[in-house]
Amino acid sequence: MIWHITKRELYDNLNSLRFALTTVLLLGLMLTNAVMHLREHPKQLQNYRDTVVRHENRLESSAADSLYKLAEQGPGRLPKKPSPLRFCAEGGETFLPDNVEGGFGRWGMDDLESFWILAYPPITPNLRNISPDVIKVDWGFIIGYVLSLVALLFTFDAISGERERGTLRLMLANSVPRHTALIGKLLGTLISITIPFALSVLLNLLVISTANDVHLSTEAWGRLGIIFLIALLYMCLFLALGLLVSARVQRSAVSLVILLLVWVVFVVSMPNTLASIVGGLSSPMSSDEFYERSWQLKRESEAEFFSRWFEEPKDSTKRIELGGAYVAKDAEAQQRLHEELLKQQISQMSRVRAVIRISPVTIVQHLLESFAGTGFERHLQFLENVQSYAQQYRTFIADTDQADPESLHIYGIRKGMSQKPVSPEAIPKFEDTLDLSKDFNTAATELALLTLFVVVLLSGAYLAFVRVEV
Amino acid sequence: MLTTLIRRELLDNLMTFRFAAAVLIMLLLVVANTVVLIKDYENRLADYNTALKTHQQQLQEKLTYSAGKLEVDRPPNPLSIFNVGFDKRLGNEVEVSHRYVPTLWDAGSHGSTNSFMGMFASMDVVFIFEAILSLLALIFAYDALAGEYERGTLRLVLTHSVRRGYILLAKYISAMLCLLVPLLMSLLLAVILLTTSTSISLNTDDFLRIGGIILTSVVYLSVFYLIGILISVATRRTSTALMLSMFAWGFLVLVYPNMILAAIPRPEAPKARVASAYSQIEQTWEEFDRERKQFLINDAFPGEKTTFEMMASGWYNEYSYGSSSSLWYVYHSALHMKELVKDAESRVPHAQNYYGFLGPRVTDTAEKTWLIRMPALEEILVQPTNMERVWLKLSPAGLYDAATQAWAGTDLNGIRDFFEAAREYRQQVVNHYHNEKVFASRQWFAGDKDTPDWDSLPRFFFQRVDVDTNAKRALPYVSILFMINAVLFIVIFLIFVKSEV
Repeated sequence: MIWHITKRELYDNLNSLRFALTTVLLLGLMLTNAVMHLREHPKQLQNYRDTVVRHENRLESSAADSLYKLAEQGPGRLPKKPSPLRFCAEGGETFLPDNVEGGFGRWGMDDLESFWILAYPPITPNLRNISPDVIKVDWGFIIGYVLSLVALLFTFDAISGERERGTLRLMLANSVPRHTALIGKLLGTLISITIPFALSVLLNLLVISTANDVHLSTEAWGRLGIIFLIALLYMCLFLALGLLVSARVQRSAVSLVILLLVWVVFVVSMPNTLASIVGGLSSPMSSDEFYERSWQLKRESEAEFFSRWFEEPKDSTKRIELGGAYVAKDAEAQQRLHEELLKQQISQMSRVRAVIRISPVTIVQHLLESFAGTGFERHLQFLENVQSYAQQYRTFIADTDQADPESLHIYGIRKGMSQKPVSPEAIPKFEDTLDLSKDFNTAATELALLTLFVVVLLSGAYLAFVRVEV
Repeated sequence: MLTTLIRRELLDNLMTFRFAAAVLIMLLLVVANTVVLIKDYENRLADYNTALKTHQQQLQEKLTYSAGKLEVDRPPNPLSIFNVGFDKRLGNEVEVSHRYVPTLWDAGSHGSTNSFMGMFASMDVVFIFEAILSLLALIFAYDALAGEYERGTLRLVLTHSVRRGYILLAKYISAMLCLLVPLLMSLLLAVILLTTSTSISLNTDDFLRIGGIILTSVVYLSVFYLIGILISVATRRTSTALMLSMFAWGFLVLVYPNMILAAIPRPEAPKARVASAYSQIEQTWEEFDRERKQFLINDAFPGEKTTFEMMASGWYNEYSYGSSSSLWYVYHSALHMKELVKDAESRVPHAQNYYGFLGPRVTDTAEKTWLIRMPALEEILVQPTNMERVWLKLSPAGLYDAATQAWAGTDLNGIRDFFEAAREYRQQVVNHYHNEKVFASRQWFAGDKDTPDWDSLPRFFFQRVDVDTNAKRALPYVSILFMINAVLFIVIFLIFVKSEV
């Protein structure tokens, strides 16, 4: 029986204007997305490879000089590996730095040179970008905004329209249980939207996979499958909402107005407004404050060391020790400041992201991001990778220094450290890894939340439909 | 006759659910967002005031002219609440120095900017109108004629001696009046909220600008209403008209503006042009450097040290630095000598002579390279984005956005006005240096005897352009919107007159 109703619904929809318009719209959007990805992805990949080569060259040239040089110069710029699935969810990557600066000359004085630190520069990357502001057309946009709107346009008259035409009475006159009718309708509309959506997704993937520059691994295809399923689940949410309102309201015009307003509030307006409100609750360190404190720290350690340092005779062990301690302390204090700033920014961002999950479009975008390996969570993972690499690098320096009998083992100054060249193969190299399993917790929560929304709305639609008077 | 028709239509429209919903939702969204936006504006204003104070303080601490870093800050625009445009995004502080001519691309940013938060777009008032009021206009329009065809009431009306043009006009006027209610009410509330906030002071010009925004909003709304009527009269069936209207809205407002920039390939900055302009700039500076070195060789003081071995305590730095991406090049030399060595007095005239020569030369070279840099920047960085802007304006939503940005002064022109003012200010400062012979003074490099009189410097003053200029910038877009209205109206009229009832 369900199948009967589904089939009727399907035939109804396939012949309709909205089906044709949806197909054209989705195909156009997905094609644009694919073309854009093919244009941008090779550039990102090239950029990444260039930075990796620069990082390795820097390690080699420092290693050829001495261990001290390695310890002072640091590993250089550490790049974030671009995800091959970036076309699924752009995830605001334009607002996330694609690297962490591991070492640049901050200051130098006599025989003292500043040591490297991991710097997360507090500058907005968009300061010079004068092109107009637009949302990137990724799958997140297509699913989150367009598909949800389409789902509402398919269901707003599903029940109220039948009631207006009187066909609802006809259908229920047969011995069809109401829940069967409802599920049949849901399935019918779901399938009729899935057809153009699946077609456009296939077109998109076809274009992307025929290009030479983009390689999608088996794992990536698996993730795409999951993303497709999430899209269906998200669609169900809006279908259920449409059925609910359609069942409660007498006229389909009214039903549409209500649905559009709900859509506007929850999908368009709520994420951004809530983000501004929650973001305004905490204010992380400003860049001016950051520079001020950084300068303050430097002056403090200067005051502590310099007078004593100048008093010691040149080349005495005491002077070397003091110099080394000064450099090490400076690097540590600055590193801590950088990390404090980063932590404040991340906590502000995490709070915002937690709150805006009230809106289903945010949930689906977060889910897409975590399966596509882009966005904020992925950035946090990258930062973690960078920090653990920095730890590894520092341990390597300390161990190699310990192994050199000629070294004084005073960290921070050339005369106190091993000055032998190091074999480049021995140095740990940075490689950013994309790992899904690490972050699956947040994704699982969001998936559960989305399912919960769907279940609640579906049961709401069921209750509303059962109580409907024909 | 017309009034009777209008009255009928008005009653029809006002007593509907959609009208109540439209008013409610507009008030809700506009008020909620205005509160958020005012808070945001106040934060930015506080940041601006802090930045002003810090920059002033940092300047006062400097003991020499060459070490002083004169920075000017861009105040946030109160009308950014209506359309934020570039007001938040582009740089809002820039150094004014004789060493280079400042542009938008040399600017930094003050304030608590968490770059992660840039991910969230801000919902300004114009965006709400652009997205939601246009949707409401379509909801009001889709059954205006198709519904009457279906119910047969049109035939009834036409049996009276009523001109068809009148019917159309009456429908248009009454629906626009109905749509004006949520528009004006929400704007009025926004303005009331603005005026109650103590940190925002609006002058007459600002109210005129808001008037311009309201006018543009009405014209934009009318475009969407007419699109709805066109679909309604062309399809004659409410259900078809509704579907087509919704997809038309989705395409014009949601899809097209975001898709078009992805679909058209972004022109790459011509590498050859960048390289040639940059090498020209570098050459000019190299020429300057040769002259500088020649001067040091020729002068009476032995050696080429630019500190003239006078510094006992303090700091100095001297470097040349350039970046080809924004064609920026600077020869930086700053000295901050707190104390001089004992026998320095004999060398002070040498230094004064040298810096008296160097300062004007640096200024001249900076201005010479500016003549190369200005057109090149325009060609490399501005023109490609102008193309993008033209593409965006093919949708009424893009036109509306551009027009309201121009009214509010948050468009690219408005931001560039600030840098124009910064350049003028630089000229004043340089003139002041010339007139007061600052370059050749002892305070240029040493602060042991006299310190610079920072308060005697000319003050920076930036005022947004007057409302006439805003209007001039917005006019092309507003008139295109008017034209679209006229064309749509004529097309609708022709179809309606020819149609059989």
